[in-house]
Amino acid sequence: EDEDLSDSEDSVYSGLEDSGSDSEDDEDEEEALDAAADDDEEEEKEEQAQRVEFTCQLTADWLRLFSVFSCRMSPDIRNTVGNIPMEWYRDFPHIGYDLDGKKIYKPIRNKDELDDFLDKMENPDYWRTVHDKQTGSDIILSDDQVELVNRLQRGQFGDVNFNEYQPSVEFFSKDVMIHPVTNRPADKRSFIPSLIEKEKVSKLVHAIKMGWIKPRRVEDDSRGRYYDLWSTEDSSILAKHKMHLPAPKIPLPGHQESYNPPPEYLFTDEERALWEQQDPSDRKLPFVPVRFSSLRQVPAFPRFIHERFERCLDLYLCPRQRKMRVNVNPEDLIPKLPKPKDLQPFPTTQSLVYQGHSGLVRSISVSPSGQWLASGSDDGSVRFWEVRSSRCMKTVQVGGAVKSVAWNPNPSVCLLAVALDSVVLLLSPSLADRQVVSASERLLSGQDEVEPAEGAGPVTWGEAEGEELNQGIRLRIQHPKAVHQVVWHTKGDYLASVMPDHSSHLQVFIHQVSRRRSQNPFRRNKGLVQCVSFHPVRPYFFVATQRSVRIYNLVKQEMTKKLQANSKWISSMAVHPGGDHVICGSYDCRLSWFDLDLSTKPYKMLRHHKKAVRGVAYHRVYPLFASASDDGSVIICHGTVYNDLLQNPLIVPVKVLRGHVITHDLGVLDVTFHPTQPWIFSSGADATIRLFT
Amino acid sequence: MSQLQARFFTEDKRYVVDDVPFSIPAGSEVEDLSNVINKLLLAKNASHSKVDFDFLVRGQFLRTSLSFHMETEGISTEEVVEIEYVERVTAPEPEECMMHDDWISSVDAGWSYDKTARIWSVEGKAWNSERNKVKARHCCRGHTGSVDTVATDPTGSKFCSGSWDKMLKIWSAVPTDEADEVEEPADRPRKKQKTQQLGLTRTPLMTLSGHNEAVSSVLWCDSEEVCSASWDHTIRVWDVETGGMKTTLTGSKVFNCISYSPLCRRLASGSTDRHIRLYDPRTKDGSLVLLSLTSHTGWVTAVKWAPSHEHQLVSGSLDNLVKLWDTRSCKAPLYDLAAHEDKVFCVDWTESGLMLSGGADNKLYTYRYSACQTDAGA
Repeated sequence: EDEDLSDSEDSVYSGLEDSGSDSEDDEDEEEALDAAADDDEEEEKEEQAQRVEFTCQLTADWLRLFSVFSCRMSPDIRNTVGNIPMEWYRDFPHIGYDLDGKKIYKPIRNKDELDDFLDKMENPDYWRTVHDKQTGSDIILSDDQVELVNRLQRGQFGDVNFNEYQPSVEFFSKDVMIHPVTNRPADKRSFIPSLIEKEKVSKLVHAIKMGWIKPRRVEDDSRGRYYDLWSTEDSSILAKHKMHLPAPKIPLPGHQESYNPPPEYLFTDEERALWEQQDPSDRKLPFVPVRFSSLRQVPAFPRFIHERFERCLDLYLCPRQRKMRVNVNPEDLIPKLPKPKDLQPFPTTQSLVYQGHSGLVRSISVSPSGQWLASGSDDGSVRFWEVRSSRCMKTVQVGGAVKSVAWNPNPSVCLLAVALDSVVLLLSPSLADRQVVSASERLLSGQDEVEPAEGAGPVTWGEAEGEELNQGIRLRIQHPKAVHQVVWHTKGDYLASVMPDHSSHLQVFIHQVSRRRSQNPFRRNKGLVQCVSFHPVRPYFFVATQRSVRIYNLVKQEMTKKLQANSKWISSMAVHPGGDHVICGSYDCRLSWFDLDLSTKPYKMLRHHKKAVRGVAYHRVYPLFASASDDGSVIICHGTVYNDLLQNPLIVPVKVLRGHVITHDLGVLDVTFHPTQPWIFSSGADATIRLFT
Repeated sequence: MSQLQARFFTEDKRYVVDDVPFSIPAGSEVEDLSNVINKLLLAKNASHSKVDFDFLVRGQFLRTSLSFHMETEGISTEEVVEIEYVERVTAPEPEECMMHDDWISSVDAGWSYDKTARIWSVEGKAWNSERNKVKARHCCRGHTGSVDTVATDPTGSKFCSGSWDKMLKIWSAVPTDEADEVEEPADRPRKKQKTQQLGLTRTPLMTLSGHNEAVSSVLWCDSEEVCSASWDHTIRVWDVETGGMKTTLTGSKVFNCISYSPLCRRLASGSTDRHIRLYDPRTKDGSLVLLSLTSHTGWVTAVKWAPSHEHQLVSGSLDNLVKLWDTRSCKAPLYDLAAHEDKVFCVDWTESGLMLSGGADNKLYTYRYSACQTDAGA
């Protein structure tokens, strides 16, 4: 039956191809159609595939249609040449052969282009006229045929009555039916591997092995599908782009900018008051969050111009270059100072208190051997103490407040210079060996005969007599004014005294003890002299006035240097035993360290004291210096000086020593180091002298 | 409370207990242990009267609870602990206070600040005899600084002096009636009178120099050796025969005083940093501090070993205290003697078991110290 079906279909299409078909053929078809219809009727009850039935019906429709055609065409010319290109007959007079083998001649065509055009214009059926190539005649399609063509062009079925959406019957569903469509057992071949497939696969494998087939090539990615387009670009340009700074972005709006902000963003009364009080630049928000019940009620933004202006300012003033800011912790810039523990030895604790004076002790001095300590006090006495037992060995009443005492630094003599009122006394305390005592006596009495030449000067030398002689006073050097300080030269022969006075040029005298001569080294008054000092090695002389320290060369008799202390009023001065460094204490609480080789400005200013600095001192052996202040404390600093000129002195404060009681707003008045041990003596306004070790 | 196994022993025949281990509470202190021993003795001998004991664990006095002591000393608590007990030394009693009219700087001989060493003829043991009774026999000239210390050798034929002029000088102590060499300083008649008052002049047998600073203390270790302490932070041992230096012990602070005990052969030094340090003078390789006794708060000005006890020494300090030490208890002294009202400058022992101390308050105190006699055999 399938074969029949296919035959009839073929014939249908061929029939469509040649619209003008033979009547006989048509009849044949009709018969076949009838037979088919009969078959349909007969086997209607049989279960058959619906598709088959449907195709049959379609075929029947087509046949019926063409039977109509053929009725129209009265001369039924059936060409038997088949489905060939008609061009093959172009040069022949005939166009094919009919059923009887006779030539079918081409109809006479006398229409030219003009006729064709007129026909097109005038013939109302021209649009439905079709040229039949097989017969060479024109066929005018009927209404039904036009309708059929239209339907086919629209993609619809030719038969009007055909329902293409008939309900479908699911034969092959997931449900297992009691009466299956097919009940064949599965084929054996579905269980065994397919030999054909195996053969094909083995062929492919063999081809791959032989190299006839190349497996898919791996794409060469050496160049890389993705690569850095700018990798070869000049780095300077890149750097420029790297330094690019994008313009600042507008911050995204937050909840507080909403027309209906959450209640926590709304200002309370205090916040609002605060906001109004604040400077516009200090405000966290440039506006007050407001709540509206609906977006429709939000008024125009009043700060629009302002905000645009600020945005423009931001863009205009935004930084165009990245600043290379060095982020340095300020702590790191402080040089690492050694710990005080590593700088031992230095005095740490109070060991002895020398009690006996009844007035404030202005000045102390230690003998060069370190065995004796001399102190001068406002109670008009000079006392001599044994250092290690704090025993007062001797008391000399000098009859006036003692301003300054100075022990002769020469160890072969035993002399003490004492300044009180306008007199400088030279004492021989007889606290040494016989030879030393006699040497000092000889020094004092040596040059009696030179004396008359000095009579006219402002300074007069006189010998002590009577009771004073018994006490140890040997010489009196009478000055025109009150003497504030006496200082010995290292050799122990020269003695300098200071008489601070604004109006006079007679402020400093240098006395030579062995020849009993005095001289005033300065012709002019350069300010109020506070203290003087001799250079320990070279013939230099340091003179401290209120604001500066002048250094004079005594041999050349000229000023070599002037140090500017950045303080208001220098109170005291000490020269390093090496001679290249000077410290100055001042009444405005400062201690300045001068490095003479470095600069005329202070190398370092120490502001550790709370009140005026009264005394400063260097240790002769150890790298220590100390400052005494009215706040009752003595500050010990470590000050290593290097021979290398490139290395600056190392100054480390190591200890604050307290012990003196502040009386009448005066604390520690003088300070001096033991010559050999790391011990320090301090004298205070509380009439005591203390030893710290 | 954990228990410890302890065995008690003593060298004192009067208080011997059975040599069996006892289980005692680990937290027990000296009082508890003392009670235990007393109970044992009472059980043994009904006529026993209560005695206070002190306890030594591995040569260290027990001062805290037993468990704490053993923990700090690193003694295992698993084994039987050997505990020695001795009769507790009773506190020294201030016996006598003698007023002087000036500071007392030394109880053997006064410091002389006029650059000479004088030999005082001391009559018997009357160290406290008034000075006006004493007659200067010789004036020994030679030092150029003040003489700070003198010491006589064990035989009594020589003595050594240390001075501020950094020298040690050795003099003959044999009294003679003629001056070795009369070197008259003719130019100062005042001085001359003084020297004549002082007696005959002597010159040193030998001068030992080497110190860089003042000599603060000198003593004889034996008849051939002199030991000196100085402000230059060193203790030097000198050979008297050759005059050469044998050993140098270097410290870090100024030495004020030294003392040598022939019993335990240790040097004790007092220095300006408040510590008493014990040295072994025989060590050749520099300074090795054996023990450091720290309790004073001022300079230690005097230190003296007990003549009859190898562990005890007495020290005086500028903090007005005299302390009695036992080297077996180095953390704290045995007794603080706070009799002085001012700086203590000197301490000493007498053969009869008296402790002496003098100071800046012009008082010389003597202390009766009973334990010396009983402990002498220990």
